[in-house]
Amino acid sequence: MNLKDCHNFNDFRKLAKKKLPSPIFHYIDGGADDEITLKRNTSSFDKCDLIPNVLAGVNKPDLSTTIFGRKIDMPIFLSPTAMQRLYDPEGDKASARAAEKFGTMYGMSTMATTSIEEIANVSSGPKLFQLYIHKDKSLTDDLIERCKRANFDGLCLTVDTIVAGNRERDYKTGFTTPPKLTLKSLIEFGIKPKWVLNYFINRKFELANVKHITDKGTNITKSVIDYVNEQYDPQMNWNDAEYCIKKWNGPFALKGVMSVEDAKKAIDIGCTAIIISNHGGRQLDGSISPFDQLKNISDAVGDKLEIILDGGVRRGTHILKAIAAGAKACSFGKMFLFSLAAGGQAGVERALQNIHDELKRNMLLMGCKNLKELNQSKIIYRK
Amino acid sequence: MKLSDCYNFSDFRKLAKKKLPSPIFHYIDGAADDEITYRRNTSAFDDVDLVPNVLRGVENVDLSTTIFGKKLDLPFYLAPTALQRLFHYDGERAVGKAAQKFNTMFGVSALATVSVEEISSMIDTPKMFQFYFHKDRGLNDSCLERAKAAKFDVMALTVDTITGGNRERDLRTGFTSPPKLTLSSLFSFATKPMWGINYLTRGKFELPHLQDYVKEGTSTNTSIGNYFSTMLDQSMNWNDAEKLCSQWGGHFALKGVMSVEDAKRAVDIGCTGIMVSNHGGRQLDGSRSPFDQLAEIVDAVGDKLDVICEGGIHRGTHILKALSIGAKACSGGRLYLYALAAAGQAGVERALDQYRKELERDMKLMGCTKISDLNRDNLKFRNK
Ligand SMILES: Cc1cc2nc3c(=O)[nH]c(=O)nc-3n(C[C@H](O)[C@H](O)[C@H](O)COP(=O)(O)O)c2cc1C
Ligand SMILES: Cc1cc2nc3c(=O)[nH]c(=O)nc-3n(C[C@H](O)[C@H](O)[C@H](O)COP(=O)(O)O)c2cc1C
Repeated sequence: MNLKDCHNFNDFRKLAKKKLPSPIFHYIDGGADDEITLKRNTSSFDKCDLIPNVLAGVNKPDLSTTIFGRKIDMPIFLSPTAMQRLYDPEGDKASARAAEKFGTMYGMSTMATTSIEEIANVSSGPKLFQLYIHKDKSLTDDLIERCKRANFDGLCLTVDTIVAGNRERDYKTGFTTPPKLTLKSLIEFGIKPKWVLNYFINRKFELANVKHITDKGTNITKSVIDYVNEQYDPQMNWNDAEYCIKKWNGPFALKGVMSVEDAKKAIDIGCTAIIISNHGGRQLDGSISPFDQLKNISDAVGDKLEIILDGGVRRGTHILKAIAAGAKACSFGKMFLFSLAAGGQAGVERALQNIHDELKRNMLLMGCKNLKELNQSKIIYRK
Repeated sequence: MKLSDCYNFSDFRKLAKKKLPSPIFHYIDGAADDEITYRRNTSAFDDVDLVPNVLRGVENVDLSTTIFGKKLDLPFYLAPTALQRLFHYDGERAVGKAAQKFNTMFGVSALATVSVEEISSMIDTPKMFQFYFHKDRGLNDSCLERAKAAKFDVMALTVDTITGGNRERDLRTGFTSPPKLTLSSLFSFATKPMWGINYLTRGKFELPHLQDYVKEGTSTNTSIGNYFSTMLDQSMNWNDAEKLCSQWGGHFALKGVMSVEDAKRAVDIGCTGIMVSNHGGRQLDGSRSPFDQLAEIVDAVGDKLDVICEGGIHRGTHILKALSIGAKACSGGRLYLYALAAAGQAGVERALDQYRKELERDMKLMGCTKISDLNRDNLKFRNK
């Protein structure tokens, strides 16, 4: 199996599984507890039907939309995700370049393994920075300042990771960063020699954005779960979010809003967007899926801020359903992470190309010229 | 396994799978993307229950219905499907003769492998020609004139293939028409030698309605997806449909209407029927199933044109449910295609006979003797 055999999410996932040491594959693939929410995030799309219009004379559908003040060429972008250099030696650089090539946004995690400045150097495309609030508050100011200098377009604050989720696969595989070599993991890593080789011959693995503040950034000998629990501030509240908004003074989203009430509060504190998300099912298992909640939130606040749907997106039609229900755009994590692991920048480009082709094809089949024509009259929810 | 072991849809499917080279089987069997809509087309019927009436004296059941001004002995007909001689060397000849035997309508695809002229000289059962709107207007005129001269009763313009669907099984098997021999397909073809021998010895494989208009070795040689994307006119709109409708001057239907709005417009441009259809789930995955959408459309236009419920039908009871909602008739592709692949004309006849028997039995069990006895009081929707 190689990249040209990858036509959809499952194909990329399969190839990624072949290439990655199993603890790393499962870190990406896994969710919290019984992974009910993880599965529901995708299956919730199946309860909603698209109603196409025929004979619409659509030749070239316009897929563009505007988020965080930037026009993007298609309504899907890369969610911020941690530690991409574990999946491919080029990591965030590969993702950012691929996103720019397709005229869409790249999201950078606080826990990225490439720095804000390095990414600004390789990409002038739309960029979103994702903030975690550490107990050490000086880190927040530092990150916001650096994003400003590096001309990031938007900032989002992740609010669903107040503690680490219960990722049971990580306990079983003993996933830590950098990878800890136990006997069991040694065997596992040993059967993927190419990955190990890449890991050792390439630049040192580190959390590039935070390493100068916390020594944990260069040497997390504990698991990600421990890092989150030790370093993030569990006291984080609406005031902290408001502080970030003032400090940033630009397009700003809360990432991980799931209730209508919180969506309204987000408007009050000055957010320009919200990302409806349950962190890809990695935090609170049993929580509602973003798509199941999208219509409620968009009916309540859709005219006051940009809504981004994040989680479970695997297909062009999922994106069209979300747009019809009221989202301005969608973002995905695992879809592009598996393609990154499967084939680096070329992998991400193939995944984005597939999604682009699906979006275009399905807009034609829907008879829609642009995303504005996709509204709630084009979908019916089944009970 | 042989034909006499086939009692239902999945039996025919199993036998077809045995007989066909895998790229061809998967071309029939596959659908778009994750095939969610394909599965829903059938499972939608399960969300509605039949409520029978008893003690009604149901000795004689009349299954006939009238669509497009033609009386059919069965309340369903054979939807137009492409390339039938790939599935069995007799192709459209087998299907047409079986349709004639049961006096139901035969839908002939623009991509048929037997010409309209030959079909009309062979059978006099009602016939529908399925039209694709090509960029080449000469080709369009030729199709229309030939179908008219061959005395076809109905013209159906397919409107749900403005671009090719994402049939991932075809991407993997490398299905093209005529079959392209790659290493893996070669292996699959080699394991079905009878299919290969028939394909090579039973007359040249061609697309008689298109061939004068396609350059040698080009478009017919590519995949069906490419045909949709390169030869069909993506700017097709309501004006084009209206013009075709009047150019045809007879019974005219749009095939692939799913929204109430479009159904109303079909009335306005002079259509006498519509097929509520998503092309058997082969185009837009995630789109609504015909049965789920049927009631709304019947309510809006059911008294103004013939509404046909097309796709997902595996059982007589599925047909009864659709007719109870108000469809004038049903139609299907795979319900006869697997049988064609399994055993040619005899296969299609066996399938049609089984549907007829199921319909008759189930009408009796419902306490109904004619199609007009069926109405929505026969149904209970579980989720309403
Ligand atoms: C491996 C991995 C790492 C992630 N790291 C972060 C992160 O550092 N910060 C963050 O806000 N979200 C993170 N997420 C969540 C994503 O931003 C996004 O919400 C999620 O992947 C969406 O679900 P999907 O994977 O089904 O598309 C991560 C997700 C994955 C799979
Ligand atoms: C193998 C195959 C070929 C088809 N070819 C055509 C075609 O050439 N033109 C067309 O309008 N519809 C075509 N269809 C769609 C059918 O007319 C019909 O809409 C569909 O088969 C209904 O779904 P069902 O197979 O579940 O009954 C085809 C379907 C199949 C399965």
